[in-house]
Amino acid sequence: MSKVLPEAPPGLCFHCLQPLPDDGGYQVVIADQQRPVCCYGCQAVAETIAQQNLLHFYQYRDTSNPLAIPLVPEELQQLSAYDDEQLQQQFTRTHDDQSRSMTLSVEGMTCSACAWLIEQHLARIAGVVQAQVNATTERVHITWVPAQVKLSTLLQAIAQLGYRALPFQSATQEQDFKRKRRYFINRLGVAGLATMQVMMIAVALYFGVLSEFDENLKQFMWWISLLFATPVLLYSAQPFYLSALRSIQAQRPNMDVPVSIALLGAYGASAYATITHQGEVYFESVAMFTFFLLVGRYLELLAKQKALSAAANLIKLLPAVADREGADGEIETVPVSQLHPGDVIRVLSGHTLPADGTLLDGTALVNESVLTGESRPVQKHRGETMLAGSINQQQTARLQVTAIQQDTVLASIIALQDLALSRKPKLAQVAERLANQFVVQVLIMAALTFLIWTWIDPAEAFWVTLAVLVATCPCALALAAPTAVTGAIHKLNKSGVLLRNADVLQVLQQVKTVFVDKTGTLTSGEFKLQQSYVAPCSPYASDQLHAITQALEHYSEHPLAQPLRQLTTTKCQVSQVETITGAGLQGIWQNQSVRLGSLAFIQQWHPEYQPHLPQAQVFLASVAGVWAEYQVGDQLRSDAQIGVARLQQAGFKVVMLTGDRLELAQPIAQQLGITEVQANCLPADKLAYVSEAQQQHPVMMIGDGINDGPVLAQADISVTFGHAADLARTAADVVLMRNQFSAVLSFVDIAAKSRTILRQNIIWALVYNVGILPVAMFGLVTPYIAAIGMSVSSLIVLLNSLRLYR
Amino acid sequence: MQIDAVAALLMGLAGAGHCLMMCGGLAGALSGNASLPRLLAYNAGRISSYTIAGAIIGAAASQIMQNMPDGLVYLRLLAAFFLLVLGLYLGGWWLGLQRLEKLGIPLWRALQPVAVKFRQAQSMPALYLAGMLWGWLPCGLVYSALSWAALSGSASQGALYMALFGLGTLPAMVAFGWFSQAVQAFLKSQGFKQLMGIIMILYAAWTAIIALRQLGILH
Repeated sequence: MSKVLPEAPPGLCFHCLQPLPDDGGYQVVIADQQRPVCCYGCQAVAETIAQQNLLHFYQYRDTSNPLAIPLVPEELQQLSAYDDEQLQQQFTRTHDDQSRSMTLSVEGMTCSACAWLIEQHLARIAGVVQAQVNATTERVHITWVPAQVKLSTLLQAIAQLGYRALPFQSATQEQDFKRKRRYFINRLGVAGLATMQVMMIAVALYFGVLSEFDENLKQFMWWISLLFATPVLLYSAQPFYLSALRSIQAQRPNMDVPVSIALLGAYGASAYATITHQGEVYFESVAMFTFFLLVGRYLELLAKQKALSAAANLIKLLPAVADREGADGEIETVPVSQLHPGDVIRVLSGHTLPADGTLLDGTALVNESVLTGESRPVQKHRGETMLAGSINQQQTARLQVTAIQQDTVLASIIALQDLALSRKPKLAQVAERLANQFVVQVLIMAALTFLIWTWIDPAEAFWVTLAVLVATCPCALALAAPTAVTGAIHKLNKSGVLLRNADVLQVLQQVKTVFVDKTGTLTSGEFKLQQSYVAPCSPYASDQLHAITQALEHYSEHPLAQPLRQLTTTKCQVSQVETITGAGLQGIWQNQSVRLGSLAFIQQWHPEYQPHLPQAQVFLASVAGVWAEYQVGDQLRSDAQIGVARLQQAGFKVVMLTGDRLELAQPIAQQLGITEVQANCLPADKLAYVSEAQQQHPVMMIGDGINDGPVLAQADISVTFGHAADLARTAADVVLMRNQFSAVLSFVDIAAKSRTILRQNIIWALVYNVGILPVAMFGLVTPYIAAIGMSVSSLIVLLNSLRLYR
Repeated sequence: MQIDAVAALLMGLAGAGHCLMMCGGLAGALSGNASLPRLLAYNAGRISSYTIAGAIIGAAASQIMQNMPDGLVYLRLLAAFFLLVLGLYLGGWWLGLQRLEKLGIPLWRALQPVAVKFRQAQSMPALYLAGMLWGWLPCGLVYSALSWAALSGSASQGALYMALFGLGTLPAMVAFGWFSQAVQAFLKSQGFKQLMGIIMILYAAWTAIIALRQLGILH
């Protein structure tokens, strides 16, 4: 009888599905076929199975993944409900390339090892474009191709690792937070109460009263201590064991491994001593160590939640229903999820906009503070975009919906914030790697300590090793970077600064030069007529000339044309207007040729002509003479001057890069105190200046996200103003949601502060950990001193980071 | 010494991942269905075999030691060596233990025909016997545990050590079906096996140091 048995994946043993040894292992004949096995044991078992005709054992097993065991049917059914198209639309974003992305919240994640496990596991599934796991927020951002893999398969894959993943719903986040806090508070409470009791007994036993205790009473005290320490070990310390086990599974031992070993070891040895009535007990160290560690974790959790809820609160503000205007003008209340782009909705005064839309009324006043951090209301005009999350301040507004739910600007802001939190900056990565290496070294050192002390004095070996494990646990090092970075991002988001890439916090310190684009950055970007000049020799009245200019400009698409279309109410006719690209316009007015355009353009007719207004850009001329000059410009931002001054004070060299003529740029530069101006820049020139400066040191570029795209991409730090609608398109590292130049300063200040804190944290943690190691190895630290030392060092780091939240 | 008994138990526990991969689903497959009494009968047979082997080795070692004053210390060093080899094997760093396994093959070849007779044994005694046969499967884990039974100094102690070792392996084999997926994934993961490997190696080093210290004191 020959059955077709499923093959084991290449490189794995046919029997146990473990990797084969390098030499290929051994062979066994099963069902008339040679199969590789890893060892003699497997060979013997496989032969026996074949001889006993139990081949069904091999037939019905899943060879694809030795760890995969199917879920029970009910769970499977629940997961497959998420494959429903309509349901998916509510929480997924579909991209142009047919891939889809969404955020899952994952339960049971305890540390970055978990994140790594899930990431690795998901990345191996065909059809998954990207899986980014954020251990801080306990969320997975996943992009997949629905045609290749179903969402339920992905959820199932995460479930196989022992985590529960569900589509992230901000509505339940607050509950999750509460649950998580309660989880720690309960454990903290138990540990706190027990620690007090055990400490009291320990103090009594150590000092003074000791001699008055007879041996029986001492035994009794030990038993009481054991009683109190047990719930601490079994209940309070659970989070550490879980995290340690996960990290071992991922083959990346984290600091909870030495913590768990120390806790279990100290308790085990103390319990043994209590039962056998000899030796030493350290129940107070077990309780205290657990308590302090939990305090640290709890504070870290609070900090995290604070950073997260800032973003989550935004979404929570969005109403769930909207007042939709039917075709007959009747208002019906519908769930926001049923709105479609193109629908017309009404938003009452004082209400929050449920979706993005264009204003259909004349004007409206809205408060966009949730989006920009700017609390003053903003005036909107007909046709302008209004954003979900902003609050309508005046009368009822009508808008035409352009985007709902996941497609709104608000959603993309939140996505950006999440992204920044999930991408670990390099320094944080370095710190984490350092902490992980440190864990390995601590374990090695502890092992060596144990072996050496066994040789010197076996009785002391155990407690000295324990002290080494506890004292050198790199908790402070592991907390140093993540807490500081989370704090910085939180603070930045609160001030309306979105970070796409937290690395810039680090790079900023090396930046010496800041390139600033003029138009739209130093200036508001709104062009206005600033000065006009009418030649006295002109045969026509100025009003008549303005009318000609205005008429011609109606044919132009140049940005400077806009303010020249509203010069006068006088009307006039021009004909045969043609656009000469890069020069201006030419047309016929009252049977004579007229030109409107650049100086060079009219100098073709009047080679000798010199402008009267040195900064005029637009000239009106006939063949007979030059009639008028116009100076169009945009307003400096009100806070540009102080902003530039403060950047210079902070030690940055500020360089203006502009496409305008030097005569136009120079006065503005002078007014702002900028000494270096690069005018007449084409985009390629800007790029060249930036790359040249980069030869020396990293540079920062502040510019217009759309037009300066390539230059921004070249700069080490790119900063742009969030023209909200284009948020998704900007590639800048830093997006300033507040439309003020001084928002740059918030970024610079907070980045500098967070870097200082980060450095302090890391230096302190390193000094402590490296310093305590030899002391502990020499056996000079008792377990409870070690527990205090370690706890204090991590609390210092945490409290230092919490300064960022103030 | 109690601490040696702990070592035997620990070795059984440390092998959980290994046992689970090799024989996890098999016990159920061999016994027809995987009800708890049947699994227990089967595994009791297996552990009985270990115990018998432990008694034999213990007795043999105690004979040798009567003629050698330092014998126990050298045996301890040998046991430490086997523990080290086992640690390396579990961690997947060096598979030298397989050479030891090879030694067990002839024994297994002799027993195999008998095993076929108990194929899908239905009665409890038959299951127990089938389990006993299973206990002689070439297995490096068992052989290194036997080196500790040799230390015990007597047949009864050797039997006790091996029974403890067998008990250590029991959770992985019997509770197989009760473990959640997460626990199974953890036990089977490379990380867990490496951790166990490291613990075994440390234990080996510790044992060796104690033994060397004793040698130093003796001479």
